[in-house]
Amino acid sequence: MASLRFVLKRLLLLVPVLFGVATVVFGILHLAPGDPARIIAGQRASAEQVAQVRRELGLTRPLWVQYLDFIWEAARFDFGRSYSISQGNPVRQVLADRLPVTVELALYGQLAGIFIGIPLGVLSAIKQDTATDHLTRVGALSGISVPIFWSGPLLILLFATFLGVLPTSGRIDSTLFLPTTWTLLGRELPLTGMITVDALLLGRFDAFVSAVRHLLMPALVIGIYATALISRMMRSSMLEVVRQDYMRTARAKGQGAKITVTKHGFRNALIPVVTIIGIQFGTLLGGAVLTETVFGINGMGLTIVRAIGASDYPVVQGTVLTFALLFTLVTLVVDITYGYLDPRIQQ
Amino acid sequence: MSRDSIDRRTFLKVTGATAATVTVAGCGGGGTETTEPGDGDGDGGDGGDGSDGDGTGDGGGGDGDGDGDGGDGDGSGLSGTLVYARGDHPENYDPQQTTSGEVAKVTNQIFDTLIQFTPGSGGQLEDGLATDYSLEGTTATLELREDVTFHSGEEFTAADFKATYQRFTQSGFDYYLGDENRSGYGPFTLGNWIDSVDASEDYSLTIELQQQYAPFLRNLAMFAAAVLSKAQIEKMGANPDDQVSLGTEPVGTGPFAFEQLDNPNSRILLTANEEFWGPGPNVAEVVFKTIQENSTRVQDVINGDSHITDNLDADGFQQAQNSDSATLLRKNGINVGYMAMNMARREEFRDRRVRRAVSLAVNTEAIVNQIYQGFASQADQPLPPDVLGHNEDIEPYPQDKDQARTLLEEAGYGDGFGFELATFSNPRGYNPSPIQTANQVQSDLEDVGLSVEINQFSTFSPYLEYTDQGRHDACFLGWYTDNADPDNFLYVLLDPKVPMDAVPDDQDWVSFDTEGYSTLNVSGWANTDFMETVREAQRTYDEGQRESMYMEANQLAHDEAPWVFLDYAETLRAVNEAVVEDSYTVSSVGGPYLNTVEIQ
Amino acid sequence: MSTDTHADDGPGDAADDRRETRGLLERVRASPFLSDLLSNRLAVAGLLVILTVVVVAVYARVTMDLTELTRSRLGTDVPDRAPPGWVGPAAWNQYLFGTDAAARDIYKRCLYGAWLAMKFGTITVGVSTVVGVSLGIVAAYYGDVTDNVVMRTMDVLLAFPPLLLALALVAIFPRELGLWRAVAALTLVYTPRFARVVRGAALKVLEDEYVNATVALGASDPRILARHVLPNTLAPVTVQSTLNFGLAIIDLAALSFLGFGAQAGTPSWGLMLSRGVDNGLLTGRWWLSFFPGLVLAVTVLGFNLLGDGMRDALDPRMREAVD
Repeated sequence: MASLRFVLKRLLLLVPVLFGVATVVFGILHLAPGDPARIIAGQRASAEQVAQVRRELGLTRPLWVQYLDFIWEAARFDFGRSYSISQGNPVRQVLADRLPVTVELALYGQLAGIFIGIPLGVLSAIKQDTATDHLTRVGALSGISVPIFWSGPLLILLFATFLGVLPTSGRIDSTLFLPTTWTLLGRELPLTGMITVDALLLGRFDAFVSAVRHLLMPALVIGIYATALISRMMRSSMLEVVRQDYMRTARAKGQGAKITVTKHGFRNALIPVVTIIGIQFGTLLGGAVLTETVFGINGMGLTIVRAIGASDYPVVQGTVLTFALLFTLVTLVVDITYGYLDPRIQQ
Repeated sequence: MSRDSIDRRTFLKVTGATAATVTVAGCGGGGTETTEPGDGDGDGGDGGDGSDGDGTGDGGGGDGDGDGDGGDGDGSGLSGTLVYARGDHPENYDPQQTTSGEVAKVTNQIFDTLIQFTPGSGGQLEDGLATDYSLEGTTATLELREDVTFHSGEEFTAADFKATYQRFTQSGFDYYLGDENRSGYGPFTLGNWIDSVDASEDYSLTIELQQQYAPFLRNLAMFAAAVLSKAQIEKMGANPDDQVSLGTEPVGTGPFAFEQLDNPNSRILLTANEEFWGPGPNVAEVVFKTIQENSTRVQDVINGDSHITDNLDADGFQQAQNSDSATLLRKNGINVGYMAMNMARREEFRDRRVRRAVSLAVNTEAIVNQIYQGFASQADQPLPPDVLGHNEDIEPYPQDKDQARTLLEEAGYGDGFGFELATFSNPRGYNPSPIQTANQVQSDLEDVGLSVEINQFSTFSPYLEYTDQGRHDACFLGWYTDNADPDNFLYVLLDPKVPMDAVPDDQDWVSFDTEGYSTLNVSGWANTDFMETVREAQRTYDEGQRESMYMEANQLAHDEAPWVFLDYAETLRAVNEAVVEDSYTVSSVGGPYLNTVEIQ
Repeated sequence: MSTDTHADDGPGDAADDRRETRGLLERVRASPFLSDLLSNRLAVAGLLVILTVVVVAVYARVTMDLTELTRSRLGTDVPDRAPPGWVGPAAWNQYLFGTDAAARDIYKRCLYGAWLAMKFGTITVGVSTVVGVSLGIVAAYYGDVTDNVVMRTMDVLLAFPPLLLALALVAIFPRELGLWRAVAALTLVYTPRFARVVRGAALKVLEDEYVNATVALGASDPRILARHVLPNTLAPVTVQSTLNFGLAIIDLAALSFLGFGAQAGTPSWGLMLSRGVDNGLLTGRWWLSFFPGLVLAVTVLGFNLLGDGMRDALDPRMREAVD
């Protein structure tokens, strides 16, 4: 088991990184053009009204005061209220609404990647340099060579337009509404925000089916990325392990190739794959930006694109910091898992 | 509504039992939600909580559904869900906090205005919450409709309008929305003109204006002037930040009541208000859903997953036309797209011959027919057709590159010059393809020796800020009407709003930093003849006189060419076959009028 | 952001002492890297794709006029949105890939797009490589505070999902820069990856005794860095560059799709593809997006095949640093 000291050390290292992240976010937004006051006041407002709004937002204060203020806000994870895309609502609420949406999407994409990618990678490694191997690899690499904003619309074209079997976009049928809490043993509990999970918690099978139908295409698009990266890593990692001395020894001792591969190879080969799964989680989140835009899913990705478009700074700050935090935490978990799988690292 | 004025949550608390929740659960989710008695408990009650948000203003969100879906035996049997797909999902539905048309689409279902636009008329006025209205001198008097109730059950009276007005414009009012929250429409349509509102009688209003102002009644028909409930305003609390959340649980008198704001899924559920004083509603529920991608949205209507959609681009237009299951509805819009030449910044543009040369060089015919695929017409004056004062005698500038070259030579720019053309990049109604249009202008002007550098903005707000400050040489902009009044185009967009004597003699432009300058005039144009005419027309109540003054102003603007007049775009809607023919009226101002829509 | 710190006790390398005495060229020729790579058929296929694209790019740059490809031809007798000649009524070889919404020839624009992709890809990857390599080597060699400052800064940049950081960065560069702001943003996003890879590789070189010996003999810092450390990090850097090249092309396209990329009318693949998807995919005008998408995808695939092959051929000790 990973030692407590190792975990603590990694956690401590996070602090300066997150501090830097917050600083970068602050810097980016204060260098960006676009006057939030003008955005709030709108096209019809006069110059005096805009100036008035600017004062009320505290944008006339010295930069360092605004910076300190922001760091303090970020530490409490409170970014104030949205300027335009969720006008007047607390950013925290916006994040709470959106985060589960994106996490759900990324998780299904990741799952698809793991369940398809790992077997493909192993297959590729076992059949090294055969036609199967080549086909698998070219297929996987093609997957990451096609931009999401092309493959997405192509899928819509095929499944929603020509075949008409899947809905074009969204997360659930437009006429199906779910309540916002559920009841367990007489207590009202909040729902998760992940629509497939919620539907099951509520026992709403129709909603579950609808949610799955809506998730298929976006999860597939993201899953292709995950599959490509994982299968590629799995293959080379497998080959690597097979080449190692102890494997040769095991085989020399008379164990069958198949057993060798499963017994010794697999676990060791998984180590770098775990890393890649963690690292690529960031890529998947980035992919969510595009996927959500294409499929009209109102998660963190679409939110950030809209917020940047509308110069809704509090929302941009909140979403970017949340993404960074999420990404960093996943990396931390990966490190700890890695440490568990390969204790040498902890030193 | 009044019959049933306890809100659903209270109702639940009182009755509690499962028997009651079966009914209520049906209400919450509408026709499609099937709830088993077993979990009905959590289900129905929770729906109410959700729509009530943070729990303030209980009378609001949860109500209106009581009779909305006809499940509770009042025998009207409204059924069906109308799904309206659109490109954006704002999350605050307070008509006073926004200038966004996306918000107005929803608030127009929930709220009523005192006076309203006749559906599909292109801007005629008819009775709304007022049954009689007149404007004489500086006094507007209105008689109000009786027996109208808000979705929360309170009766509508003159006091509601007064509170609405005060919340919007009076910083001294206890429940003032706050400068940083209210939209520019506050002063722009009401505050700048109104001197006082007298609501001493329940069903009559007297509004004193600061000066004669012809468009005033039309301003009352705008979505931003929608009547809020005084009771709700007071319930929200005296802090401007508390007033903000009115937009997440709006309560009005309109045909549909606000039921659930589902942000993670970008949609809104409204339920029918069967006590509505006007025509309809004819469906039990309305869902506003969001699909950002234009062509995907049209596809959704074709597939029947939604019934009506708007903001079509050239491609969506064709998609709907080619489809068997959807039809395309089109109507002349009340908008104008233009390219403004900034005289305050570029000396070349101060010469009328140069401006006319540019107008002659740009192939607006190719722009409307090829780029906008024929769903816009060539513009020739600031005011679109169908608006009072549009001058039918004016013809668009034909493309004539030879004459353009001659004019440039006469002006001393035979060797040409270069300038920047600023543009936004996302489609807007009056300019569905800004980048391509800019590209076309660039190519056309190149042929007469002018080199254009395109400066494209990926987002609209910073773009407005840029043009506001007059930093552009030339820019694309456009205008959708607020109230279908000619003043809303000619005065708002082309009058600099500086005092007449601030314009130097023999000069027809002023700089952007002139005291009082309105930056909505992005060409810096300050033609005193034009200014006199439109200012006079603003105070003129006689329609005939007004019309001829505006026709004159339009002719002047055409000849002087401060803008290249690009297009008047049509208002387009794709409608699924499930919508009963002619039950949906496309309107270019106000609306969408969903109260009359029936679905099969 | 974590793998670099993991010491790897790979098998001892007998080549170490030999390496020192030979010239760079000789070393490369004798390295198992190249022979491994050339025996990998997929990698060779990737290389061929890339070479073809380079030839096309140069050809387009030399023979074509950019303004002619950019300007709108509406109002002339060239039809807009015309299908490729071989599917439509026109002669089979007229408008080989069709024309776009401004009546421009998609075939020619695709060819020129190769030049733009190569140019901006090279600049993006080139600059981030140079900056990243310098930072990585300096961090590894000087260690201690320098290492900490450099690598923690890199960690901060690596803490953002790549496309997201690029998106946020694009917003702060002046608009007039057009595609250059996307290039600048992506350069900042990619640099930390190179720094990390190089630092990892350099640390392994520095562990080797022969470098210690050189230091003991009194060699100067720049000399050690240039003669010993840098050459030995070349292989992983090349792999990382190749993989990133494909990524750069696709990311530049994605930024164009989101509205933060190339200027109007520019014949860049990303812009053509995203405009084409908007302008006609669902109305059956597939050629607007299909051809730009195809050339883009094939080119990126070429880089991915080559990069993947190179990665496999890489000395296992160095491989771990590359992702």
